[in-house]
Amino acid sequence: MSKTPSGGWVLEADDPEYPLELNDLNDPPQRLYGFGDPALLGGGLGVIGARKATPYGLACAHRFSAWAAARGIPVVSGAAIGCDLQSHVGALSVDGPTVAVLGCGADVDYPSRASETLQRIRADGAVVSEASWGDAPHRWAFPRRNRIIAALSRVLLVVEASLPSGTFSTADHALALGRDVCAVPGSILAPESRGPNRLIRQGATPITDVSELAQELGVCSQSAEEELGGSKDRLLAALTANPMRPDDVARCLDLDIVTAIRSITRLEASGLLKRYPDGRFGLSMRAAGIQSHDTTTT
Amino acid sequence: MSGDRGQAVVGTATLLGTEAIGVEVQVDVSNGLPAFAIVGLGDAAVLEARERVRSALRASGFTFPNARIVVNLAPGPLRKHGTGFDLPIALAILRATGQLNGELPDDYRAVGELALDGSVRSVAGMLAHALGARRDEVGLIVPLEAAPTVGAVSDLRFRPLESLGAITGARTPASFTSPRHIRAAGPDLADVCGQDTARRALEIAAVGGHNLLLTGPPGSGKTMLARRLGPIMPPLTPNERLDTAVVHSIAGVEESAVLSGERPFRAPHHSASIAGLVGGGSPLSPGEISLAHNGILFLDELPEFGHATLQTLRQPMEDGEVTLVRAEGRVRFPARFTLVAAANPCPCGHMGDPAKKCRCTESVVTRYQSRIGGPLVDRIDLLLTVDRIDPELLVRLPQGESSKSVLRRICLARERAMAAGAYPSTSLSGTRLLSVCRMGVTVLDSLTSLGRGYGLSGRGVTRLMRVARTIAYLEGSDRVTDDHLHEAIIFRGEELR
Repeated sequence: MSKTPSGGWVLEADDPEYPLELNDLNDPPQRLYGFGDPALLGGGLGVIGARKATPYGLACAHRFSAWAAARGIPVVSGAAIGCDLQSHVGALSVDGPTVAVLGCGADVDYPSRASETLQRIRADGAVVSEASWGDAPHRWAFPRRNRIIAALSRVLLVVEASLPSGTFSTADHALALGRDVCAVPGSILAPESRGPNRLIRQGATPITDVSELAQELGVCSQSAEEELGGSKDRLLAALTANPMRPDDVARCLDLDIVTAIRSITRLEASGLLKRYPDGRFGLSMRAAGIQSHDTTTT
Repeated sequence: MSGDRGQAVVGTATLLGTEAIGVEVQVDVSNGLPAFAIVGLGDAAVLEARERVRSALRASGFTFPNARIVVNLAPGPLRKHGTGFDLPIALAILRATGQLNGELPDDYRAVGELALDGSVRSVAGMLAHALGARRDEVGLIVPLEAAPTVGAVSDLRFRPLESLGAITGARTPASFTSPRHIRAAGPDLADVCGQDTARRALEIAAVGGHNLLLTGPPGSGKTMLARRLGPIMPPLTPNERLDTAVVHSIAGVEESAVLSGERPFRAPHHSASIAGLVGGGSPLSPGEISLAHNGILFLDELPEFGHATLQTLRQPMEDGEVTLVRAEGRVRFPARFTLVAAANPCPCGHMGDPAKKCRCTESVVTRYQSRIGGPLVDRIDLLLTVDRIDPELLVRLPQGESSKSVLRRICLARERAMAAGAYPSTSLSGTRLLSVCRMGVTVLDSLTSLGRGYGLSGRGVTRLMRVARTIAYLEGSDRVTDDHLHEAIIFRGEELR
């Protein structure tokens, strides 16, 4: 076993600092390797979602994480590209606490694109793993780390996931542990929202604004919190409901294609819309009420 | 000396690239051991003429001299290939042996292959021979089956010949004009249902001659769209027809469709070799890019083409022609084509497909798309994604506008562009582009902010302006406006680079 890197620590199962919440698991980790503040472990808000996320999912992850972290609730997630990373970024954007649970060694920067964020979390939050120092990422390790995310959360929020998705394994663990599972509903037409929509049907609590999340977490929400405003722009409203191609926009709004294209690109140029890699247009993160950060997008 | 000994000369030509170079067939029939020799750097096909000529002469009722025959193809250093020398060799022997009495005028060339029964067959490149004869101001004796093709060349005296025996027959007046071709109804744009953005992109490409890249899952109609670009481009002018048909003629590809004004559509498979794509071989023959001259070169599955193969397209795309340098000389083939490329969005092809889940990871997709990128994509102005259309919509949507009505609009726009000297738009750049765009101050501001907002490179801005310029012509506007720029920006491809 390699040496403990500077700043790192190891918690044995009988350590006083070892988070009690992990004992809810049938097979709690024998040892927890980590960086940062061990006091942040337990009782957080788990925010998870798929790697292939749309700006909608990223914006939701960012929004709810920032809100919770600003109230001192640690945001727990898995540092994967996409929704997970955006949750950490959201928490860090308000200098709030956040916990990253990795499937590889806690000192390994994986995925490499997250390395900058991970470094900040090691300093200002906590990065933990049950894999020993220097362990490379293994496919089988990720479902197992999901149970730790579930255990360290008091509420688990699923923002976006298509079907099938590894996100469900985290949700299953959370249910088995008796944690509350919440989900952000999305368009019934968006494949990326099928996961949360199904969870809601199965009994998860739908979260449509921060006051509902506050209720779940049992914290007092200062009302008059900025709310997601509906758009007056017909086009923007249509694309809020569901990302579409220009052809579909023209059809839905009964515009000719040239007008549709020009209106879309005007909104895109002003930063309200974003083109997805497959050619559809949807709300940008900024349009969803989030200050854009220099971080991952799809 | 008996009457069947002597010398004679008959003119013909050999092809170097698209050019027919005049060649003299000199025949000497003399006493000596019977022999039949052909000298003058002929290839194997030329040498085989001996057997065909011998049989054809006899079958046509002439006598083949029982003497020593030497055929010289002058000029000597020029390599000659093909079976088109059969007819002039046979005619020269007939003349040398006194079997012809003035049926063959001196200022006529003859080109054609002989069958053993004496009939005259067409050879590849008849159109090039016809153009060469017109240039050199001589007449041409051609196989009857090539008459419609040769007839497309105006101001050319020519005589069609069905068989060798017919040379002594009554001369049919050379009033062979090319039969009036009815332009075949090509694939119609009306068949394209939905896909409005793609239809618009086709129109823009047809007006300005922009290259196009279609990205979309299998079955989204990329090939279907590509096939419909040619029919909505203004018909070929008479000169363009000949330029293109000559290339087809040399390659032995049926040229009648081109002669009737249809633009060529070439879709080489992605396993095509460099020689197959840009030309090569011996004798030097044109590749797919030259066969697509004045038409469409469609490269389906663009990322599957070899990297080196695609790189060879860059210079021809810039110059509108390709120069091949080989042992037999330098040959230039024209290659001014509109490139339509198609690609799947990812290796499995289903990214963004609502019906099927994509199994590719992000890094695999990035790597795949980067294969499309690079210098070739820099020469593509219109990049767009297409999607598989919902079967329900397919039934419900009204039929699209027909090619015929689209064509009218495009011809008008093309005329405007040509009048302003802005066609082909790919030739526009720098200050020239700026001046034809005639943008006001606020429009220029808008261009700058678009360029900055989207992080466009200098090339990206040029492409944006070119496309906007074409859209403006399509709308009958002599100035590029903010609207045109905002429409053009949707066809950028920065995500790909």
